[in-house]
Amino acid sequence: MKTIAAFGLLAVFTGCATVAPPADLLTARDTYDRASHGLAAQLDPADLHAAKDTLDSAEKSFADNGDTQGTRDLAYTADRRTQIAESKARAMQSDQQRAAVVADMNASQTATVRTTSAALGRANQQLATQGAQLQNETQRRMDADKRAAQAAADLAAIASVKQEPRGMVITLSGSVLFASAKSDVLPDAQTKLANVATALSQQDPTSKILVEGYTDSQGGQSFNQDLSQRRAESVRSYLISHGLSADRVTAQGFGMGSPIADNASAEGRANNRRVEIVVTPASN
Amino acid sequence: MNSLWIACPIAFSLACGASFPAPTQHMADAESAHRSAIELGAANQPAAQLHVKLAEEQMSKAKTLMADGDNKDADSLLIRSKADSELALALAREQAATVSVQRAAEKSNATDVTNAAQGAVK
Repeated sequence: MKTIAAFGLLAVFTGCATVAPPADLLTARDTYDRASHGLAAQLDPADLHAAKDTLDSAEKSFADNGDTQGTRDLAYTADRRTQIAESKARAMQSDQQRAAVVADMNASQTATVRTTSAALGRANQQLATQGAQLQNETQRRMDADKRAAQAAADLAAIASVKQEPRGMVITLSGSVLFASAKSDVLPDAQTKLANVATALSQQDPTSKILVEGYTDSQGGQSFNQDLSQRRAESVRSYLISHGLSADRVTAQGFGMGSPIADNASAEGRANNRRVEIVVTPASN
Repeated sequence: MNSLWIACPIAFSLACGASFPAPTQHMADAESAHRSAIELGAANQPAAQLHVKLAEEQMSKAKTLMADGDNKDADSLLIRSKADSELALALAREQAATVSVQRAAEKSNATDVTNAAQGAVK
């Protein structure tokens, strides 16, 4: 009888010891093992700890009561809670990534706005400078045109002025400027020549001025060439003495060449005795 | 004596059934968790969808068991139903967070492209 009882007890203990854990508990253990080595352990330890408590309860239930419905329910709940901890950890990671992206984007946007604003400011400053320069240039040209027009009008009042392909040509009568066979400017003509010098000084300061001397056909060619050269030099000197730059003004005598009237008549010869002042723009 | 043999199991059975109250609180908890999951769109997200369905099936079965007087098994199912709904909710939130990251990255890229197109200086 005692032997039977002993075998019975042994059988009971052996049976209990070999009861396999329910599938729910095995799954819960695996899930927790995975989670405890993953992201949840780092980012959501609180939820993972709660899942562990539930798993411990399931283990205790299994140890105390075996494979009961209560044990399986606790294991099932532990498995779900562990998965919840894992899911929350992944969501937290996504939130962190999103925050980093937004922060980067905002920083980049701020830097871009700052840099672009600075570039825009420089461009505006440059534009303003160019605008001011343009306005100054426009004003300068308007003033120069006005002066030139005024100078031309002044010249027209005291001399014959015409536009030719070589430039503006101011023709002064030789009879008015000089005594016969002389090259000194007559006192009466100096006022007129002074007005011409003043008018020329109002012209474009970069223009070139050529003083050309001409005679009629009376007398020898050599004499007339020399006379026309001296008269041209005389006018040049006068213009320079009245403010025109020596670099701008040159003189050349042409003698009896290039007559503009018939030397057969007294009137024609008078017209041929002349000084022409040719004003040539610098670009020509 | 025969009556005693019949009466005893019935009385035992009635006593057991009567000892487990209707799990109304767990039913309310399960329904509340299910509502939260549905409101967050868990039923429309692949990862969460399975758990929503499980939760619904468990609740439905629990109601049937309660109607049959099997409160204990019903309670077990309701505990599981609530756990599945809570998991579905977490998965839905996770999915929303993932989408949010993708949108932020897309917006960042789009901003870079727009800035470049408008001549912004990097």
